[in-house]
Amino acid sequence: MRRVPVTTIFVFSLIASLLADGLPLRAQSQPQKAATPQASGSLKASAIQIQQIQANEVKLSAEFQMALYENVIEEVSKTNKFEHVYRDGDRNAADASDLVILHSTVTGFKQGSGMARQVTTVAGATDIKVHLQFTDKNGKSLLERDVDGRVRFFGENLRATYDFGKKVAGVVRQNFTMASRASQ
Amino acid sequence: MRQLLRRISVFVVLFSAWPATSGCAQEQAEQPAQGSFKVVHVIGLEGIKHDTKGTIAVAKDTLEFSTGPTKSGVSIPSMQDVLTGADSERAIGGTIGVLSSLAPYGGGRFLSLFRKKIDTLTIQYRDSNGGLHGVIFTLPPSQGAALKKQLLAGGAKTSISVEDEAKQQRESKKAKEKKP
Repeated sequence: MRRVPVTTIFVFSLIASLLADGLPLRAQSQPQKAATPQASGSLKASAIQIQQIQANEVKLSAEFQMALYENVIEEVSKTNKFEHVYRDGDRNAADASDLVILHSTVTGFKQGSGMARQVTTVAGATDIKVHLQFTDKNGKSLLERDVDGRVRFFGENLRATYDFGKKVAGVVRQNFTMASRASQ
Repeated sequence: MRQLLRRISVFVVLFSAWPATSGCAQEQAEQPAQGSFKVVHVIGLEGIKHDTKGTIAVAKDTLEFSTGPTKSGVSIPSMQDVLTGADSERAIGGTIGVLSSLAPYGGGRFLSLFRKKIDTLTIQYRDSNGGLHGVIFTLPPSQGAALKKQLLAGGAKTSISVEDEAKQQRESKKAKEKKP
């Protein structure tokens, strides 16, 4: 039997691993649709207040909780859909006219293993499931979504919080229009 | 030719694994200078990028992070909760870590077996407007508790005392060891 050159095997395995890594990541970046269906960009608000992530029923370490919160603030700010992005407890939010409040509750958390992930590439994924609820000042629900943050291949466990932040920003981009633009 | 390629790749894998193991030992031996700690800023500080290496020092009532000429600080009395945790990370990370995954014969995966223990320090504080902030640092092992003690002495608050946290970490470590 003719032997296959080592370099050919290496090139093929490299292409295969890149494909295997790339495809699920693309699938992950699509935010999950749930509960209330909304037309694209139908909500408008000039400001958003992001509440601290709640994890009442799920045991979640402090660093995950704060990393989720900080990543959401960072990624939502990058969307430029709101004139102001207020933090939990910010007194200035009370003066905002059309304020939307984002409540996030962790509904599931599976802490994976960085070593298992990097060695096997199929095991050790970290997964965080969060229920998002956008309400107005009076507490009326405007939009609800279930979003998850994952890290499957590269990166340490906290990278799942970055993935979650990106997906929340995706939900905001899809459903919100900047108030000033909408009035034009 | 094939043999030469094989020898080179084995050499590359072994050579890159060497600093990982020696680095671990070096870090454990490193003791923090009085009041200053070598840390990695994970997220949260204003004006500082993610995963930036630097030093933090407790000066009067401020926790100051500095990396080169850039500095950022947090008022210690505004800290509502200071919590430590234990984690581990790949000994060879960053760009070299990613590139090593391309090494032939599973060399990159082999390097992933080398991991170093780290402490995490999570700080929750409120700014002057009442807005909640979270800052996360990673430190060499067993330095998280020392830094937390300094912060508590400076007026920071915590929901779990240093002793209770150490006890919790010991118990979770035991529970992990018991798992088959």
